[in-house]
Amino acid sequence: MPARAGIGLRAQHHLQVIAESPDVAWFEAHTENYFADGGAHVEALVHIRERYPLSLHGVGLSLGSADEINLPHMQRVRSAMQRFEPTLVSEHLSWISVDGRFANDLLPLPYTDEALRHVSTRISQAQDFLGRQILIENVSSYLQFDCSRMPEWEFLAGVAAESGCGILLDLNNIYVAACNGGYEPLCYLNAIDSGAVQEIHLAGHDRVAIEGVQLLIDTHGSPVCDAVWDLYAAALRRFGDVPTLIEWDTNIPTLEILTAEAAKADRLRADAHALAA
Amino acid sequence: MLSLHELQVKVLRAVLDGKPDAACGITPPHAVGVYARTARGNFIDSLKSSYPAIQRLVGEEYFEQTARHFHARHPSRSGDLQPAGRDFAHALRELHGEDEFRYLSDVARFEWLVQEALLAADHGPLDLARLAAQAPSRHEELRFKLHPSARLFESPFPCRAIWQANVASDADPAVIDLDGGADRLLMVRTCGQLNFHDLSQGERDFLLELKAGRSLSAAIDCAAGPLPFDPAAALQRFVACGVVVDFQ
Repeated sequence: MPARAGIGLRAQHHLQVIAESPDVAWFEAHTENYFADGGAHVEALVHIRERYPLSLHGVGLSLGSADEINLPHMQRVRSAMQRFEPTLVSEHLSWISVDGRFANDLLPLPYTDEALRHVSTRISQAQDFLGRQILIENVSSYLQFDCSRMPEWEFLAGVAAESGCGILLDLNNIYVAACNGGYEPLCYLNAIDSGAVQEIHLAGHDRVAIEGVQLLIDTHGSPVCDAVWDLYAAALRRFGDVPTLIEWDTNIPTLEILTAEAAKADRLRADAHALAA
Repeated sequence: MLSLHELQVKVLRAVLDGKPDAACGITPPHAVGVYARTARGNFIDSLKSSYPAIQRLVGEEYFEQTARHFHARHPSRSGDLQPAGRDFAHALRELHGEDEFRYLSDVARFEWLVQEALLAADHGPLDLARLAAQAPSRHEELRFKLHPSARLFESPFPCRAIWQANVASDADPAVIDLDGGADRLLMVRTCGQLNFHDLSQGERDFLLELKAGRSLSAAIDCAAGPLPFDPAAALQRFVACGVVVDFQ
């Protein structure tokens, strides 16, 4: 995967990407959006994959669930991998279901030894089944579990060390979780092994008040904010050249706005190189 | 301390019910509401994308109210939300019974089949040379295969006309008479295009038998009813429109 900025692929941009072949380094697609056996979306991704490197990013494996691993879902991920031949495959450090009931939202785990062992085993099982290393992304969080015994960054680093997965570091999620949880986002960056990070996500968030308390919500529906760009500059210094994705999943803008955000990320990377030199 | 499984069962219940539970040990407790709203919102968005005509017919407010009711009774059972709306037509049937909106359930059933047809696997046309090479004595034993996107639909209401009027454009749709004609049709996606074909009773029975994997002779027997049915013409028609795609 080129160490440049790519963008999240959305169905409303399929035809434009196919017609215009825009100057985008790579695309990332949500795996579940291309689970169908056929049809226009699948056909479009096949065409786009012929021209661009691709990352498949899943939201439905529920690797942190305490129940049995979701084998049918895993088989569909593997089928998608065989069809689209992605360069990167990723999922989340979260859970969305238990006992066959699904929230279909990325719920955080309690940061305990039991959860660390459990999710690491599940990620290892997934990697064995899929026949490759996968990347695991930190999720945004609006709560803390009273039973947690370690900070999130220690949990993530422990999971990567135990399972052998790579890390997809979502800087917006770090910023959101840090603001909501009351810690310094740079602590997070500094605790992650620089060689483990293989992809970075950048996205926008919203600020809402719930019962008088200000919360940041990870909506992926607005431009990357200045504080997250600053965090990106710090991440470039710590992790070097890493493929970076502009994620935008709601209030989806024009392709031109997405490519402009990607170009901004590329300029920051070039600036980091110039400073290092 | 709760095990991971016990904790997740409690948290998921709180998220799906939208009510904090002190036993979850969460700070701040009301943060559960953020996840509850997103979970419900994702589910409703998936329903909206599966049922655009129903949403237009009933309006956004009533659709969301119905979708929330449906979500509470039929929560997602998959990490992929696409199948989550499978039983929505049934829920509309339960909701409206035989009242004046009873047609909504059939339109929803039609929309779901449209979505299934649009997402089905592709398949090339029938190999006519291979078919021609079959000995005539074998013809009756042949089992024809339909295109993976082929779906059969029947309703006393003109659902196709209602659906087309509500997804074709943003303009106000024309008034459609609910007694304006029943639907008995086949839908199939060929060359990227979804096509509809009206069917006689015999043609429908014939295709149902073929779809079930029965032999040509069994399908012909089933289709032969009180009304005239020409099996050769039917087979020719379904090969020509790309519905019959293979045989064994």
